[in-house]
Amino acid sequence: MTLNSYYSIAYLAVFLPVVIAAYTAVPKKVRWAVLLAASGFFFWCISGKLLIWLIVSVISIHYAGIWLSLLKEERGRCLAEAPKGEKRAIRQRFQKKMLAVASGMALFNIGLLTALKYTPFFAGNINSLLSGLGIEKTLPVPALAVPIGISFYTLQAVSYVMDVYREKIPAERNLFRLALYMSFFPQLMEGPICRYAQTAHVLWAGERIRFANLVSGAQRIIFGMMKKLVIADRLNPFIKNVFSDYMSYDGGVTALAAVLYTCQLYMDFSGTMDIVIGTGEIFGVRLPENFRQPFFSRTISEFWQRWHITLGTWFKDYVFFPLSMTKPMKNMTARARKRIGSHYGPLIAGAVSLGAVWLLNGLWHGAGWHYIFFGLYHFTWILAGSLIQPVSEKLCRRLHIRRTGCAWQAMQIVRTAVLVCVGELFFRAEGLRAGLKMFWNMVCNFRLDALADGTLFQMGFDRKDALIVGAALIFIFVNSVLKERRVCPRQWLAARSLAVRWALCYGLILFVVIFGAYGVGYVPLDPIYANF
Amino acid sequence: MNIKNILKKTAASIAFLTGLAVLLALVSAFFLPKNNMKAFGMEEPSANGILGERADSIDVLVLGDSESYSSISPMQMWGQQGITSYVCGTPGQFLYESENYLHQAFENQTPKVVILETNAIYRNFTPEAAVMNRVENLFSIFRYHDRWKSLNFGDLSGSVNYTWMDDFKGYRYNDAVDGTDGKGYMAFSEKSAVIRERNWQYVADMAQFCQDYGAEFLLVSTPSTVNWNYERHNGIAELAGACGVRYIDMNLMSDVIPINWAADTRDKGDHLNHAGAVKVSAWLGAYLKENYRLEDHRNNPDYEKWNESLKRYQKAVNPGSSAL
Repeated sequence: MTLNSYYSIAYLAVFLPVVIAAYTAVPKKVRWAVLLAASGFFFWCISGKLLIWLIVSVISIHYAGIWLSLLKEERGRCLAEAPKGEKRAIRQRFQKKMLAVASGMALFNIGLLTALKYTPFFAGNINSLLSGLGIEKTLPVPALAVPIGISFYTLQAVSYVMDVYREKIPAERNLFRLALYMSFFPQLMEGPICRYAQTAHVLWAGERIRFANLVSGAQRIIFGMMKKLVIADRLNPFIKNVFSDYMSYDGGVTALAAVLYTCQLYMDFSGTMDIVIGTGEIFGVRLPENFRQPFFSRTISEFWQRWHITLGTWFKDYVFFPLSMTKPMKNMTARARKRIGSHYGPLIAGAVSLGAVWLLNGLWHGAGWHYIFFGLYHFTWILAGSLIQPVSEKLCRRLHIRRTGCAWQAMQIVRTAVLVCVGELFFRAEGLRAGLKMFWNMVCNFRLDALADGTLFQMGFDRKDALIVGAALIFIFVNSVLKERRVCPRQWLAARSLAVRWALCYGLILFVVIFGAYGVGYVPLDPIYANF
Repeated sequence: MNIKNILKKTAASIAFLTGLAVLLALVSAFFLPKNNMKAFGMEEPSANGILGERADSIDVLVLGDSESYSSISPMQMWGQQGITSYVCGTPGQFLYESENYLHQAFENQTPKVVILETNAIYRNFTPEAAVMNRVENLFSIFRYHDRWKSLNFGDLSGSVNYTWMDDFKGYRYNDAVDGTDGKGYMAFSEKSAVIRERNWQYVADMAQFCQDYGAEFLLVSTPSTVNWNYERHNGIAELAGACGVRYIDMNLMSDVIPINWAADTRDKGDHLNHAGAVKVSAWLGAYLKENYRLEDHRNNPDYEKWNESLKRYQKAVNPGSSAL
């Protein structure tokens, strides 16, 4: 049976029920073993022998944690024995040692990720450079197999080591507990990127499966399937056609493809997150949310606080802040503050750290120049937003525009959505050159002919498809509006009578069964973020 | 959680799932095509044309992938031997699909011979696909869900009336010529190409099914230089032996089925064209008639529609002449 996706029959109808049954059947103290074995099996089914890289990562951070813990104990002993005047020097000495261990092991894990995922990209670019310089020598471009979820679990590994170093969490002495934290099967393919303190203990505790959790988890899984099968997969033929043959379409079609791809990506990723979080919920594990109604954002900066939240917070905690807190950066901030004031000073200095974050964010998504462009595109808008903020505020005051008014906020939301869609155009394009050509086509050749003459609906997405996708998006929009107003739709549902609850559940299941894009004539879209 | 609570929740779960099953069955009835034409949403109308045939009128049922519907022409056999056959072949047919067509055919027909073209036996599939196929058989909504785009009020009535009959009886006419030399593809070998256990089991099940219904099950390898070789021949021969069924490999019968690979194939030996199918069907019709004592129905008034179909078939495949 092909256990290669959270949407496969093998996963939903066999693997998950078997794991639930096994988890329930065994005593509480060995439930962790069921989850660990299931996770190892799941990983093996997708990546086979590449499981070794996950094991290497787990062992490396386990070793690093214990080493840090020993250094901490030694520091304690030294401090207890040392005279008062030497304590500071001892602390600094151990701090340096611990930093070397933590950063060394973090770099080791990032090195593994880089070697496996980015070697062909770097080698290819070096070869292009050498060729451009007229040097005939070329580097071999290896075709390396990349284990599933390496981009996700590597970040978890780094966060664990750094959190132990920062003494936020104690080092984990139990290798299996660490292994389970790193490999819990629902989050293997697409995250969310969890911190050790968030999930390790509850995974290990092996709490029994509660009926309420089972129901609630199943509801969320079905909701996720609706997003993926009804919206993301139904949009796929149109998006695939336009992006693979972009020169054949006018700017209007390209713009629509950019908008629909943004919808597809959101539905695909957030749908998968619903399945992941729903599965976690069944086992009583509360995984962190990765989305918080991102299309209600009023700025790009806010968008990234609502979209792929766990990645954003990871970069903030383990790249942005550490970089901003370095001595050179602090000095630069102080100097800039003196010269250009307390708004622009820290902003300009912070831009260096922010730039690094977005460069890495782009690269994290994939080995390609269009991903780097995607990262820097968002960096530019975030920086620009901060830079023009005082001017914008002044202008609004002069023009008597109420920045808290609905119209202004709606304009901000639309503007942000447009900028996001343009960014996603580059993200999806088959290379940076293709992205630029599509953007140029969108701006300079914008026409609505395809809509007017109906050819728009002959590209693998007809009027009825549009109707169903529209209906599903309205349903999700209403759900999002409720959440924005702090009404939890699932709590609302739970408070209804049995008949209403069942009718809505049946309705949702039938909606997915009837309108899902699966079976003959459909090629299932691989979960997009699983490739990152 | 006390026992009462557990029982209550178990009962609620069972009730919910039963309700879901009932709903799926109801919706399946709406979505099931009400006629066997493409316009009614029927998948593979050519293979499902058998649904429109008069009950118990088909003597020979042919299953398999594109090799089957490219090589065996039921109308050729009707015209020459007067035996009624139908090819339920579909492109890239998997064995679980062959099994579906077999079971479906026996709901309304009582074929005396069932032929499985062997290329499908070497087509691998995942257990997931086989499971999904069973689910689709149980709840046809999963197979025909995409019909929501063409549903009308007639579908709500739920009554099925299959009326369409294929004049070609599942055969797909193609007269293109793209030849090959066809030399040496059946070079002798003692090795056997491995048949997956799952595929083996499907064939064994189909053989057993035919036995239970009193039909002869026959494995036939139609000529193909691309898909066939001696190792596959050996593999199928072993399978036929284990299942106790006859095996005919036409790739080793160039003396009686003289395929000219320069002219009788439409795609460099992958599939036969009409000229090749005429040769295969001529031999197969005679073989079936001789070995299975099949009745000649040509003068039976109940089969008048077959004679009408034959005229249309002849006109289509040979517009310049009324002879075969």
